[in-house]
Amino acid sequence: MSKVLSVFLLMLLSLPLPAQRYFTKAGTIYFNASGDMEVIDATNKTVTSVMDTKTAAIQFAVLMKSFQFEKALMEEHFNENYAESSKFPKAEFKGEIINNKDINYGKEGSYPAKVKGKLTLHGVTRDVEASGTITIQGGKVQALAEFVITLSDFNVEIPSLVKDKVSKQAKIKVDCLMELLKS
Amino acid sequence: MRKKSILYVLIILFFVGAAIVFYAYREFFRKAEDVSTVQSAYQRSAIELIQEFKSNEQASNTLYLGKVLSVSGMVKSVESSDGTFTISLGDTTDLSSVRCTLDSLHGAEAGGLRIGSSIAVKGYCSGFNADEMLGSDVILNRCALEMINEKK
Repeated sequence: MSKVLSVFLLMLLSLPLPAQRYFTKAGTIYFNASGDMEVIDATNKTVTSVMDTKTAAIQFAVLMKSFQFEKALMEEHFNENYAESSKFPKAEFKGEIINNKDINYGKEGSYPAKVKGKLTLHGVTRDVEASGTITIQGGKVQALAEFVITLSDFNVEIPSLVKDKVSKQAKIKVDCLMELLKS
Repeated sequence: MRKKSILYVLIILFFVGAAIVFYAYREFFRKAEDVSTVQSAYQRSAIELIQEFKSNEQASNTLYLGKVLSVSGMVKSVESSDGTFTISLGDTTDLSSVRCTLDSLHGAEAGGLRIGSSIAVKGYCSGFNADEMLGSDVILNRCALEMINEKK
């Protein structure tokens, strides 16, 4: 009897766990590259994000032309001169949550998270690291992170004429509320 | 006589200067144009548009990026988050859609939209998000509803 039971248990254990993937297509990325003179910021509310709670993989994809600025002129300059959105329409982050084992996805709460991976922006791929929080509530996962990138790392040039107006670094805030992907 | 012409020149210069300042001021504080007042550059059905992007993303980007498109199709879903409404148009059997994020000015237009009704939406095309797992979407930004054909 115990043999049958142990075989049964072994079978149960060897069953692959269902992949726990969460996603959103309406995440938010906000950035701020204000210099001393004026506020330069924009919000993108059409961020696609997927994460896998088992493999700790997390990724974000964003279309540059979806960044909305308060001022239309600024948005045009952003797309034409800085991000060159026609040439590089998309930015992408692919990485993993390095402290994934500390996050209990089965229990509601807020957990500090560290993410590491590759960010592709303006045709340049770089390693980036960010800290944030992962909040589990009501069957949804919210990923929040904040980090800073240096624009010259991504070959984004700031003309010397406006170098006091535009910051050399951009603060980026990510906020994605993800729901379970049914597959 | 000489004094008078100098005065005229000064007056003209003043008006030219004022015009430049006025123009610069307006240009600096200009808001994005309300899409409902802009003529659309192209008219496509949602299914056509998705197909075009799927078969040649680069060519479609060249053609559509930043342009105002008028896209017709069936409402698959209406989502809202933080007061921003997104209407997905397309074929319900396909994961891919044209995702239209409504301009905050036109957000109220999403109210009362029924799933399955066929509508046309106008908006600025910001590109294509290819994803095999989630479905590949064409994204329209700052959208406004153009028309609703309710099924009777």
